[in-house]
Amino acid sequence: MDRRHLLRALAGATAATAALSPLLALADDDRKPRKKKPGDGTPVLPPPASPKARVIVLGGGMAGATVAKYLRLWGDAIDVTLVDRSLTYTSCIMSSMVLTGQRTMSSLAFGYDTLRSRYGVRTVFGEVVAVDPVACRVTLQGGTVLQADRLVLAPGIAFDEVPGLTQPDAMPHAWKAGPQTSLLASQLAAMPANGLAVLTIPAVPYRCPPGPYERACLIADWMRVRKPQAKLIVLDANADFVAEKDNFSRAFFDLHGQVIEYRTNVVVDSVDPTSRTLFTNGGAVRGDVVNLIPRQRAPQLLADAGLLNATGGRFAAVDVLSYASTAAPHAHVIGDASATTQPKAGHIANQEAKVCADALARIFAGGSPDPAPVTNSACYSTITMSKASWLHAMFQYDSASASMKAAPAATTASAGWNGDHFEDMGTWFRALMADSFA
Amino acid sequence: MSHLPAHRRTHVLAAFMLGAMLAGGVSAQVVPEGRLLASNCFQCHGTNGKGPGFDKLAGKSASELYKELLEFRSGKEGKGIMAAHAMGYSDAQLRALSTYLSTQR
Repeated sequence: MDRRHLLRALAGATAATAALSPLLALADDDRKPRKKKPGDGTPVLPPPASPKARVIVLGGGMAGATVAKYLRLWGDAIDVTLVDRSLTYTSCIMSSMVLTGQRTMSSLAFGYDTLRSRYGVRTVFGEVVAVDPVACRVTLQGGTVLQADRLVLAPGIAFDEVPGLTQPDAMPHAWKAGPQTSLLASQLAAMPANGLAVLTIPAVPYRCPPGPYERACLIADWMRVRKPQAKLIVLDANADFVAEKDNFSRAFFDLHGQVIEYRTNVVVDSVDPTSRTLFTNGGAVRGDVVNLIPRQRAPQLLADAGLLNATGGRFAAVDVLSYASTAAPHAHVIGDASATTQPKAGHIANQEAKVCADALARIFAGGSPDPAPVTNSACYSTITMSKASWLHAMFQYDSASASMKAAPAATTASAGWNGDHFEDMGTWFRALMADSFA
Repeated sequence: MSHLPAHRRTHVLAAFMLGAMLAGGVSAQVVPEGRLLASNCFQCHGTNGKGPGFDKLAGKSASELYKELLEFRSGKEGKGIMAAHAMGYSDAQLRALSTYLSTQR
């Protein structure tokens, strides 16, 4: 490993992280400081001295962190190197609550110390410039080349370019939590009391199906308190709510009916960032604040590697028994970048990662993947600043279609929303992040 | 439900493991049955059911876990998120994941 390169990358990433200043008071962070518990029963696993197999994991988000941890936990002497451009992961889950001042950015930051110290995951921080999915080789900016027996690619999403969007900060997406989240929060806070905000929802598939609707609800509730004359227009490229329709339609039309105006089948063709105008198939729409969430795809790195062979070239087709790419079977694609019947979201990415880790552990031991994996997607949506609903789906492997099939009885949502679910959401988040990063 | 099915299952698994090792088809490591299924629980109950999160699952017996899951699945515990979750599994899957979790202390 190139030590100098690593140190340079570390220094750069520290500077970038320092730029994310925590926002506002009112913070109600669930992540209270926790005491280290060295004797809690989890053995410390140093990196294997004589590895039986090597895996490079690209991307340290929900999918990447989880697969790295579970490869070490479940595998027999598998050497795992996690590569990311950033020293910390910023959780997209809960990040809309930064917009209402209910969470700080620092409460959403998760590092890799525990993956290193407790599980023996190696980490490399730097920008990956090329992936060879057949030779299982990864090239970093600066020339470092990493090689393994298998690659696990968990790069998340990239956004389509929006014609005219020359100043991205004029219309932040805030759909990858980070500087744009803070930016959108400050733009909303600075909006006139009778201002107009616009939120756009891209065509499916996009990251976190209920996410834009819950963000709209949260902003509407915040406006009721902080900007009582303000309005929120939601422009949905889809024909209808794409998730949790019962709860969100009641919230949009009844609870927040005085604040939210919901328009469907509206596609953004181009924009003028200076006047904050969106040009759509339904005419021009101008806002004081515009939260423009563009259409999504897997990052270009995967396209260059020839792996985006599904969803019209947007995502990677995989065998869901192991998440092996159908284009290069020694490269596995998990999380939002893969094309499956499962939603693109952090909670299910954690479970896809475990299916992949289990499959690789079995393969390296001379076996084959579990023939009947099960995954689930469970999450909470903020309907107001203090009440939430929940949504649940479970997926069983269906050998006839070679896909994960939703179990109808387990695919459902809460009947309405309440404060208890909101409280459960905090517990759910803590547990999920610990299962992924600690 | 008694301990019996889970117990018998362990024997079957042990026999399978022995067979596989004698046949030389599978190398040293054998994957504990139910581990991958049970890892669905880890998302909300902590890795290996040890927290942080909702109720701790480690330390409970297989029969206790299985019984609780059946109660959730029957709807006796209401229409909460755990009921929805339990409804997604088959009996065999609930038994397998309960058996795995019962090995965690």
